[in-house]
Amino acid sequence: MVNLNPQCKETTLILGIGNPLLGDDGVGIRAVELLAEKELPPYIKIELVGTPGWGLPAWLEGWSSVILVDAVQMGQTPGTWRRFSPDEIWLITHCDLLSLHQADLASGLALTEALDMLPDQITFYGIEPACLDPGNDLSQVVRSSLPSLIDCILDDIRKE
Amino acid sequence: MSERIEVHHVTRVEGHGNIVVEISDGQLKECRFDVIETPRFFEAMLRGRPYQEASHITSRICGICATGHATTSLRATEKALGVELSDQTKLLRKLTFHGEMLDSHVLHTYMLVAPDFLGVGSVIPLATTHREVVLRALRMKKLAGDICATVTGRHTHPIAMTVGGFTYFPKVSDLKALRQRLVAGRADVKATVELFASLPWPKFERDTEYISLSKPDEYAFIDGEILSSDGDRLPIEDYQKVTNEYLVEHSSAKFTRHNRKSYMVGALARFNNNFEQLHPSAKEAAQALNIKPKVTNPFLNTAAQVVEIVHCVEDAINIIDQLLERGISTEKPAPVNLTNSNGVGACEVPRGILFHHYWIGEDGNLSGANCIIPTNQNIANLEEDMRALVPQILDKSVEEIRLSLEMLVRAYDPCISCSVHVLKIEDRA
Repeated sequence: MVNLNPQCKETTLILGIGNPLLGDDGVGIRAVELLAEKELPPYIKIELVGTPGWGLPAWLEGWSSVILVDAVQMGQTPGTWRRFSPDEIWLITHCDLLSLHQADLASGLALTEALDMLPDQITFYGIEPACLDPGNDLSQVVRSSLPSLIDCILDDIRKE
Repeated sequence: MSERIEVHHVTRVEGHGNIVVEISDGQLKECRFDVIETPRFFEAMLRGRPYQEASHITSRICGICATGHATTSLRATEKALGVELSDQTKLLRKLTFHGEMLDSHVLHTYMLVAPDFLGVGSVIPLATTHREVVLRALRMKKLAGDICATVTGRHTHPIAMTVGGFTYFPKVSDLKALRQRLVAGRADVKATVELFASLPWPKFERDTEYISLSKPDEYAFIDGEILSSDGDRLPIEDYQKVTNEYLVEHSSAKFTRHNRKSYMVGALARFNNNFEQLHPSAKEAAQALNIKPKVTNPFLNTAAQVVEIVHCVEDAINIIDQLLERGISTEKPAPVNLTNSNGVGACEVPRGILFHHYWIGEDGNLSGANCIIPTNQNIANLEEDMRALVPQILDKSVEEIRLSLEMLVRAYDPCISCSVHVLKIEDRA
């Protein structure tokens, strides 16, 4: 295995994914910003990665456990969030909204898997967006879901 | 007998473009590259904003060329406000510019182009069939991103670059660590040249006008004059005499033309116009790749990018050596002179020459802006290439023609837009 992250000492990485300039797409970034303000165990590292695309394997390599926080279209009421593992879902590239050179999170994860570099444990926190129009602000309904989401992530990492 | 080839949303390019080709009784009837992105109104967004915000706003035009847009924006503002940059600022900007050039070229050559030649549909199966190739690309991308992060505070959308200089300075130890990684990275660069030298580039020649920046003393990426391979040399303030933008019905992007019906910008134009100023190792790479100016095969734009990968790694090492020798000074940004004025910035971003032109009032707010990106300038030339290529490959199957046209589009590395990434999921149950 080629170690792309030779300096990594912590064991659990929390990645905030999304574009904060596109309304609720920035919820993953906002959530991990709020998490970073909490008292966290020393083995936790937090990164705001935005839209990593094909660079995702370089972020994931070398970690035993990774938590990804992102806006996810699940067909739920906006503001609903879910915790799930990759085994539970199919990730589908959105047909109309593609990111840099068509490498979205699903493609980045598929590439990581093909390279056999997936961490042992991956947990998703997906939040249903209300609005993905250009803008810095989260919608009220998504913002109000953040406290319970952050409590759940904190419970999760303190159990480890 | 007639065939209509339509490729909607060409893959492995940035943004949305459609290829439309119609062949009837062995004759090419129609040949277009439709750009179907909606306009993004960045120029309108800039109006009324303070000059200090312009580079941060326009950086968001692209998540790949963020440093390129920010640097071009800063140069436009600095020209308007009469700002003279220190040598250290110029060196740091060049260093981070190389980081972005490397990142973008590695993305294009390895992730977007190589799968066509290695017999797979995308980089994901490539990770299984050629694992070492993909790992090498990821290592190089990470190093490139770390150059940008070291100099400007983060990988994409630089935060430390400001009008007149920098708000943050890399530590000597960070620069030494980067240098060490760049030197070690020469092995990956060598393997990159070997890989791309072994690829069977499609055979196709069409001479066109090649336009790039040019400088007397270095391979131009930031500032300089506009140079045409047809012989003209113009100050960047005269960019509109080169771009001559016009509208066509089938594209939401403006087209451009200069001496001929179309011109080409990008790595191949730079290679053709400024070959002599490449680093000696980059010239050796060109020899290994069997290219020398003037190259008129647009598919070899990718090979020219490989040459620039070598140049940028070597020049980045040189720049770090200069910075280490000088020592890093925590200098204040150079002062501005606020008057009613305008300025043009021009840089060679990964996909070619980029212009930003700003009008700034005495209050320091922008009253107008004009941004002309490389992909716009290339589309007319891409269509001319398609028109010349199709009649040469009419004997091939529709699938082969389709693939050739897609590969041609990808060779230009078009960056049609930047958009959102959104996941949709379905329960497996």
